[in-house]
Amino acid sequence: MKSNRLVWLTLTAMLLSGICMAQESAAPQGRTFVTYVSASNVVVAPGHAAPVRFTFHVQDPYHINSSHPAQEELIPTQLHFSLPGEVAVGKVQYPAGKLMSFPFDPSTKLSVYSGDVVISAVFIAPLKAATGTYTIHGELKYQACDNNSCYPPKKLPFAFNVKVGSGGGTRHKSRAHS
Amino acid sequence: MNRNVIVVLCVVVGITALLLVGKHGAKAPVSVTVDGNTQSTPAPVQGAGDPAKGSMAPTFTLKSIPDGKPVPLASLRGKAVLLNFWATWCGPCKIEMPWLVDLQKKYGPEGLQIVGVAMDDAEDKEIADFAHKMGVNYLVLKGSEKVGDLYGGIDRLPLTYYIDRSGKVVDETVGLASESVFEDAIKRALEQGKSATPEAK
Repeated sequence: MKSNRLVWLTLTAMLLSGICMAQESAAPQGRTFVTYVSASNVVVAPGHAAPVRFTFHVQDPYHINSSHPAQEELIPTQLHFSLPGEVAVGKVQYPAGKLMSFPFDPSTKLSVYSGDVVISAVFIAPLKAATGTYTIHGELKYQACDNNSCYPPKKLPFAFNVKVGSGGGTRHKSRAHS
Repeated sequence: MNRNVIVVLCVVVGITALLLVGKHGAKAPVSVTVDGNTQSTPAPVQGAGDPAKGSMAPTFTLKSIPDGKPVPLASLRGKAVLLNFWATWCGPCKIEMPWLVDLQKKYGPEGLQIVGVAMDDAEDKEIADFAHKMGVNYLVLKGSEKVGDLYGGIDRLPLTYYIDRSGKVVDETVGLASESVFEDAIKRALEQGKSATPEAK
């Protein structure tokens, strides 16, 4: 009876260590380069526009190209949205890239993002927009590298809510596009 | 009984810890100093993907750039092949290209064929223009996801396989390699599998 208990305990302990090892092995394949952090709250009145700030985080030790890479063959970071009919998107404002050189080519400076990246976009509710909360799906397209390798282009999907209603601290006075 | 339980747990935890430490130690990041700043970078990985050293390199046929002719890898049997997966958007790949040009010049007469497989979504013309701009003097093929899967999925670039004259994988480098790493592996690829070459027979 006692030896049975010991065998089960040994097997359980080995199973747990196996799971631990398997998680370690799986990590490189599920490599995360960029995570979506947040979007600022947005309430926009019909006929008005409001800015939204999206925060992403580029994991260390990776960098991604800025929206205007220094070389034409490099893939720019871009933000895209799938919009419901009640909301339109205006100008998307990308931050300036940091000019950095990397060990693989110390003589060349590239325009990149690393760490936190904040991208702004203006959302517009047409005059006839029905009030309510709309879930908008976005996608960040990027291509990451580290000091030694580059990784195939990726898309990071995310979602956030836009409330169409009266008032709200983020209301914008510019005329809405319909 | 309690003592036995503690001993078993200690042994299992100890083995797990040793395995984890060994694994991390083998892939310790490399610190590089650039412009006075120390940056950490994952170490170049050797032998991390498929196919394994000593196994036959998976065969494929891909279109050459710019002429569009189908090129079977098997048609290069008898030569040592440096198979370099790259892309126009890959900075480290670009650094390797002039070295590959020099090595093709130096070892081509001894039977080396460098093959650059472009894992790009770009148009053939863009790839051809880029290769031309870089002075590429070796074979460039348009890669595909299917061929990438044969070589372990190509989740990072550059990725280089060294194949001997008999078609066996001699070595592999993941990430930017140095010119001397290329040269050492090329010499081994040229040396190994000589008995399988048509000249040797």
